[in-house]
Amino acid sequence: MAIRRGGSRIIQIMKRIFLILLFVFPLSLLSASLSYGQVQVRLRVFEASNVGTRIDSSLKDMRDQFKPLVDFSSYRLLKEETPTLYLNQSVSSPAHPGRKIELTLIRQHKNVADVRVKIQREEIDVLNTQVRLSPGRTISIGGPKHGEGVIIITLSAQF
Amino acid sequence: MNHEETQLISRCQQGDQEALKEIFDRYQKKVYRIAYGVVRHREEALDIVQEVFVKLFRSIKNFKGRSHFYTYLYRMVMNTAIDHARKMGKQFISSLDEEGSFEPSEEAGKWPERILLQKELEEKVKSAMEKLPAEQRAALIFREVEGLSYQEMADAMECSIGTVMSRLHYARKRMQELLKDYVGPQGQSGGPSNPLKEEGVR
Amino acid sequence: MTDSCSSVSKLLEKYFDREVTDKERLLVESHLQSCLTCRDTLMSMEGLRTFIKAPVEEAVQQEDFPWVWQKIDREIRSQEKGSWWQSLRSWMGLSPLFKKKVWIPAVATIATLLFISTQVIFKKIPSYSERSVVEYIESETYNIMVYESEKTKTTMIWLFDEEDQESSRS
Repeated sequence: MAIRRGGSRIIQIMKRIFLILLFVFPLSLLSASLSYGQVQVRLRVFEASNVGTRIDSSLKDMRDQFKPLVDFSSYRLLKEETPTLYLNQSVSSPAHPGRKIELTLIRQHKNVADVRVKIQREEIDVLNTQVRLSPGRTISIGGPKHGEGVIIITLSAQF
Repeated sequence: MNHEETQLISRCQQGDQEALKEIFDRYQKKVYRIAYGVVRHREEALDIVQEVFVKLFRSIKNFKGRSHFYTYLYRMVMNTAIDHARKMGKQFISSLDEEGSFEPSEEAGKWPERILLQKELEEKVKSAMEKLPAEQRAALIFREVEGLSYQEMADAMECSIGTVMSRLHYARKRMQELLKDYVGPQGQSGGPSNPLKEEGVR
Repeated sequence: MTDSCSSVSKLLEKYFDREVTDKERLLVESHLQSCLTCRDTLMSMEGLRTFIKAPVEEAVQQEDFPWVWQKIDREIRSQEKGSWWQSLRSWMGLSPLFKKKVWIPAVATIATLLFISTQVIFKKIPSYSERSVVEYIESETYNIMVYESEKTKTTMIWLFDEEDQESSRS
């Protein structure tokens, strides 16, 4: 019908594609940045000693990992937490009586998270370290005396 | 196009909504008449009027003044109304062919019953018009409802006068076929002769 | 139908629409005086016009257009609020760049930038063996030993009390 006029359909479609790409590009950058900045960690505190032979079932895998360095006969879980760390925000947790462990996410990129670990005793930093967590890797900090044994703290990330 | 209207259009092109209001006041009835002529439904026709003036405000920058303003406006109304009618037509269930309701009442005898409820007749006319191609429907509305001359219709529909006449002719012919039991000599109420039926016999 | 009917019938519609010349009008009117068929045809056209026009005229007469202008005004204002989108669209429509179809290489540039940026964002980080697990470590209270096992993916930081060290030496 001569009544109706219209522009080129193909040009309209190409213009729309251009617009979509124009918005998708910064959105992809934004979404990439938003997916970083947080990580969930698994923090376990247990007592290792040579008194008795009891090993908590959840720690049997840990014993094998420790064997090259330390080999205790008993491993008892004292505490387990799975806090979520956000970039540059510290999370504190009592490690065992008199001690506090503070975790801060320093950096994160894909499946690697840099975490600063501070152990404080009576408000004094007894340990200050920065470790890199990656899938399947566990960081263990052990040695401080506790009762008949020692305290071992393990830290791993869940990506 | 007179000078006053030219100024109104110019102001409207610069985004002056007051100017659009004045155009609206001048043309609202004409626009409604065409819209109602196509869709035959009050609420739809009012929606079309609203849509047309919003579209007009957006697109009036494209009006270069090479034709009369009213032909530009009428073209817009007709396109919008036909689009609405198409959407409505998809929901429209009954049709002349399906109902077969033009069989004359037995009580009336040989000739069709001419006394129909106004609403039912309206539905028949509406249904018949929906069967027309868009160009023919536009020609019929412009001529029968709005009373445009052949030249004005040619400007609005952007075609020649010969094409206008052809579309009118086929539109009228088709409408008379579809409404053959109702369209007869004016003033006669079910007279013994129906010229169209006699035409069909020939 | 007589011969004059066939010639006049072609003018009937024009006559009905008052688009005939004076000469044509006289011809039709003189024919109508003696031809019932053509008169009836004219009346049928009149009847059709009535059916089409009368309800419309009635509707227009009864209509007072309630709130129509207010709705139009509101619609225009709400569209103006979305003006960043509209102005972008109008920019696309009116921009001389698009008229010259430079958007084709622009699309190619955007696609290339997208490809490069995803490579940068998702590039492989250095493998574990290239970077130490323990970035730094310090303690004023303990002596420290760091043990790393690639096999078990374990890093052990062991803290020795000074008393322990003295007793072990002794």
